[in-house]
Amino acid sequence: MGLSDKVEVPPPIRFVLNWGRKYSLWVFNFGLACCAIEFIATSMAEHDFIRMGVIPFAHGPRQADLMVVSGTLTDKMAPAVKRLYEQMPEPKYVISFGSCANCGGPYWDSYSVAKGVDQIIPVDVYVPGCPPRPEALLQGIIKLQTKIQNESLKQRYTAEPLTVEAG
Amino acid sequence: MTPEEISQRLTAELGDDVTSTESSYGVATVTVSAARYADAARFAKTTRGLDFTFFDFLTAVDEGEQGYGIVTHLYSPIHKHHLQLRTVVPNDAPTVPTMTGVFRGANWHERETWEMFGVVFDGHPNLVKLLLPDEFEGHPLRKEFLLMSREVKPWPGAKEPGE
Repeated sequence: MGLSDKVEVPPPIRFVLNWGRKYSLWVFNFGLACCAIEFIATSMAEHDFIRMGVIPFAHGPRQADLMVVSGTLTDKMAPAVKRLYEQMPEPKYVISFGSCANCGGPYWDSYSVAKGVDQIIPVDVYVPGCPPRPEALLQGIIKLQTKIQNESLKQRYTAEPLTVEAG
Repeated sequence: MTPEEISQRLTAELGDDVTSTESSYGVATVTVSAARYADAARFAKTTRGLDFTFFDFLTAVDEGEQGYGIVTHLYSPIHKHHLQLRTVVPNDAPTVPTMTGVFRGANWHERETWEMFGVVFDGHPNLVKLLLPDEFEGHPLRKEFLLMSREVKPWPGAKEPGE
């Protein structure tokens, strides 16, 4: 990335860079269950998250900036999610959409369901609900964009822990 | 055919290997000995008048002390009648002959029943895990299988499931 990962860029430049990044989120839908239907609904004309700069759909994880894990993550699926997350280029973000992806949801005691996607990959925004309405995903996207707008590029590219300032 | 007639045909063929018959909601339930289980299915499939050519599903039921009940649901598209073919295998040696020689579609059903209940299908061509991860240990649909989440945290509802 060059200079921006070595020094803190001045706030006006940081603002412009982050502004550009937050409105160009190629999204990769990891649809695992019924929540994926709500995600699709959010992408269609009624809710239309492309108006917020979330672009459906990245052709694969290597072209994506944002992964939305929507649905029940089983232990058998978990290695695939981790692998596809690792294929995404930095900077990358994850939204955990729905109760199952957040914590296992109604399947918390199952023999086959992971207790949330954050057990295997870092999650930026959690959207609660079973399933959440499309509006909830829009809210989650706005939260994520607030986070992107306020983040430090230096920290982002040196893989230090992210800090979120109040937006 | 009525459920009673279906039961009679199977009893006439298999004799003492039919341990009980009943009918509920228009479905004949015939319990046979484990050794003749696949034979009973073959008879039901190939006998004119029965013609149970459609294999719907095969699964098991953990009946505790009594062992594992194996249940196969067959249907005849010609006569539009149903048959539930059951057998019971003991807990310590749950083995039943495979039905894959009669219905090829039974293959995956038997693999799933094997991994979920630990019931061995004797003669199955490829008895390996179907749904569970390869490293999974145990048979999760057995009642004796412990759910670790439940061991750590009790069921939060007012009643236990099944209560």
